[in-house]
Amino acid sequence: MGRHIALILAAVALAAPAFAQTEDSGERNKTFVEARGSVKPVPLPPGGPPPRMADGHVDFSGVWFGGPTGKANAWSVVPDEPLKQDPIPFKPEVAAKIKSMTRAELELGSAQVTCRPLGVPGMWTNNPYPHQIVMKPNLFIHLIESNNNWRVVRIPRQHKPKEEQELLYMGDTASRWEGDTLVLETINVYPDTWIQGNGWYRSEQAKVTERLRRPSMNYLEYQFSVEDPEVLTKPWTSAWRTYSLSVNNEDLTENFCTNNENVEQFLKLAEQERAKQAK
Amino acid sequence: MKATVGILSCLFILLAASPVRAHHAFAAEFDAKNCADVTGVLTKVAYENPHAYLFMDVKSANGQTEEATFQLSSTSNLRRGGATPAVLNASLQKEVLIRGCASRNGEKNRYAASFIKLADGTVQRLGQDVEGIFGTKIWR
Repeated sequence: MGRHIALILAAVALAAPAFAQTEDSGERNKTFVEARGSVKPVPLPPGGPPPRMADGHVDFSGVWFGGPTGKANAWSVVPDEPLKQDPIPFKPEVAAKIKSMTRAELELGSAQVTCRPLGVPGMWTNNPYPHQIVMKPNLFIHLIESNNNWRVVRIPRQHKPKEEQELLYMGDTASRWEGDTLVLETINVYPDTWIQGNGWYRSEQAKVTERLRRPSMNYLEYQFSVEDPEVLTKPWTSAWRTYSLSVNNEDLTENFCTNNENVEQFLKLAEQERAKQAK
Repeated sequence: MKATVGILSCLFILLAASPVRAHHAFAAEFDAKNCADVTGVLTKVAYENPHAYLFMDVKSANGQTEEATFQLSSTSNLRRGGATPAVLNASLQKEVLIRGCASRNGEKNRYAASFIKLADGTVQRLGQDVEGIFGTKIWR
């Protein structure tokens, strides 16, 4: 049966041209294009136990890609599936505010679009590019390719004294180990760094608790919880997200946001969308 | 068959935990239902972030030469997918074909590109698969 399907698919692929010269959008949907850059999602094996540092704690060091392939998968040939997690318990007025945003306004609120610092947990939730983690006993360094954001946290660490607290893009992080899981509790993050790129804004009272673990050599897992009584009716915890170790020992590349035309485009669109709504 | 189902199930579970997000939602800025193959001479490669751009001289219906602009993915995605500056620059001043979807704000000759047929005939991905022509369909 499987062989028959494979033969049919092969015959279709051979019969189809690489692409036609001109087609409208409707026709194009029916033609598969073979192109350099497409990625087939082959998951990495677990790869054995995770490495440990001199102090015995698990070492998360490495370059990590979202997903199981150990490489960039922005152009995967398999569609994304949504994470299986509870709905976000927005307060009714917050849900209404997010719902009222036009698509362009949603984009303009995202730090990823406007090239502002991504914040916490935005460095994970609003970042399609790889991460590099460097660890030493008592130190966690998180570097990401998105606009070259970075964050350094000592382990263990307490929050700053109340009189020294201030709003920051990466906030004020307290850290501790719970067994092999690193727990990072962050407060005092600027509200203009959204929790996720879906309009989920935060108040100055938001507390984000992140958990990181490395179940095996090739895999890293990340989860975050949010407590924010001004925005949520109750605390919310995400599903565990999977990251995999770079198979090609890749480095992060330079990615400074120096030519952002999107803001101008979205401002024009937002104006058009509001004018349409007003009619 | 059972093994195949098992492998596919594992793959699904792993993928379910790994959504891929783009720099921004394509559908907010470009119209995935208004796409076309655009042919012309590649005149400039701007390898910048958050998006790279290609510029092309195209002939309009009345024979005039017009400049078309194509927004690509980020240089991070382009490099890792093989569309390096060297690969794109090799087609400068040569005829290429780019699949582009038109800008929603009505700006003429501004597109988002999903792939290019380079001057040497190879097809190279440049952006999101909003039309489902690479085996999937990413609609955001």
